Amino acid sequence: MTEDVFSISRSTGWIVVILLGVLWVALGIFWGKRAKNSEGFMLAGRNVGLSLGSATAMATWVTSNTTMLAPVFALTLGIWGMLAYSTASFGLLLFALFVGRIRTLLPAGVTAGDFFRLRYGRAGWSLFLIITMLYSLSWLVSMAIAGGDLLEALAGIPYLQGMSLILVVCILYTLFGGLYAVIGTDFIQSLIILVGIVFIGGLVVAKLDFSTAYEHISTYQPSLLKIAMPAALLAVFNNMLFGFGEVFHNNVWWSRAFAMRKDVAPKAFFLSGLLWFPIPIAAGFIALAAGPLGINIPDENQTGPVVASAVMNMSGLGAASGILILIVLFCSMASSIDSLLAATSDLLIEDVQKGLFKAKVNEEKFRRSAGIVIVGLGVLVWLLAAPHWPIINALFISGPLVGSLIWPVIAGLFWRKINRRIVLAGIIAGSALGVWAYFSLGWFTASLVGAGVSMVATILARFISPETFREADLPVQNH
Amino acid sequence: MFSESFLHIFIYGALGWTALGALALIVLLIVDWIRGTLW
Repeated sequence: MTEDVFSISRSTGWIVVILLGVLWVALGIFWGKRAKNSEGFMLAGRNVGLSLGSATAMATWVTSNTTMLAPVFALTLGIWGMLAYSTASFGLLLFALFVGRIRTLLPAGVTAGDFFRLRYGRAGWSLFLIITMLYSLSWLVSMAIAGGDLLEALAGIPYLQGMSLILVVCILYTLFGGLYAVIGTDFIQSLIILVGIVFIGGLVVAKLDFSTAYEHISTYQPSLLKIAMPAALLAVFNNMLFGFGEVFHNNVWWSRAFAMRKDVAPKAFFLSGLLWFPIPIAAGFIALAAGPLGINIPDENQTGPVVASAVMNMSGLGAASGILILIVLFCSMASSIDSLLAATSDLLIEDVQKGLFKAKVNEEKFRRSAGIVIVGLGVLVWLLAAPHWPIINALFISGPLVGSLIWPVIAGLFWRKINRRIVLAGIIAGSALGVWAYFSLGWFTASLVGAGVSMVATILARFISPETFREADLPVQNH
Repeated sequence: MFSESFLHIFIYGALGWTALGALALIVLLIVDWIRGTLW
């Protein structure tokens, strides 16, 4: 299932990945020279423009899940499956409406933790840190595992070596360049991802006779074309809410909101959502070609690479097909891993080290301290990824947890008073009931339940003994 | 059931939209570069 299917040798795989790794690290060192202080390292000087801002938000949201799971969604849930995945872009589109308010409320803000501390006090801040750390760590570990799996499947590189390699590359350039390196490499990676997806999709379209394909699907897989498909419709709303929860709370997006120029940030997030929307469809529809083109899919999870590789082989591209798929998938993973490493280490330094433990980290000590945190986080991710546990399940289970933060974020941004205790109780109840729903009712209900319960609590908190936000509209000071 | 023409528009639309996205990023990069507003 490795070299036979993807026609790429192990040595070719190593060469491609090492060349890409050297390129990213070199660029990271080059761009990292711009980071003269902690604000430069963590927030790229708060002066990021529209092109780099849009690309980094989009590339971070394109993970290996997008390129790998979208074809699986298409294969199992059809048209609605792809649309369900695309609704994750709505999180970016809506966040564009929040960014202006975030920058007004927190002109000197550094992390999402600043907002939760300001609005919901120490208890809310701690609850946020627990949820976001669980989510971010499971996202990071699942990306590292996906990287190892892909290098093994595409090039026959042993799992542990491949996983270690992709992690080391991302740690190195994040370490040397901070957010400058992450944003710069994200731009190149986003172009590679977009061009790669269009190129592969174009080849599939060229090979596919639409009338025959439509007839084949409507005869053998009619459910994929159904307009009324209740499970898929639930998946649409679940994915949308999971996306809202992920984007609204996670420091990956907040750090970008603080890094972009104030006038640019809303436009950049809106544009990134627009750019992201068609990607799950463009990357996913190739699964529909499997049946009509007679492509055998031995493992559902490998649908995308198998179909892409088969079609490129039919087009006479041979080994180049495997290399192209490897580059696109490597970029989609690296663009998320680097952002998560940078944003999560910012949280660990700002909120945990300086905030919770009151450690003094001055400008002179900052780079050393940031380096230790980034490497430490990388080692932790490696240790959790090495045993190849099914961490992806932890990421999906965290759906209701992040879903329960949607309404508290919105209320904290736009309302002037609220009952904090009821909001926090709603987050806890939404998380607990959402996890229960995940196991008892099905994965596609979990985020719906989490967000629904928390919404009811947040609305009640507006009317039952609300307290005015003490520091509303005042700039928060850096610790 | 979704029609064949819908499937056409759906797939070509997504591919075209993605390609336009790549083009838009390149144009924006050039504009930011010229105006000195990259970062």
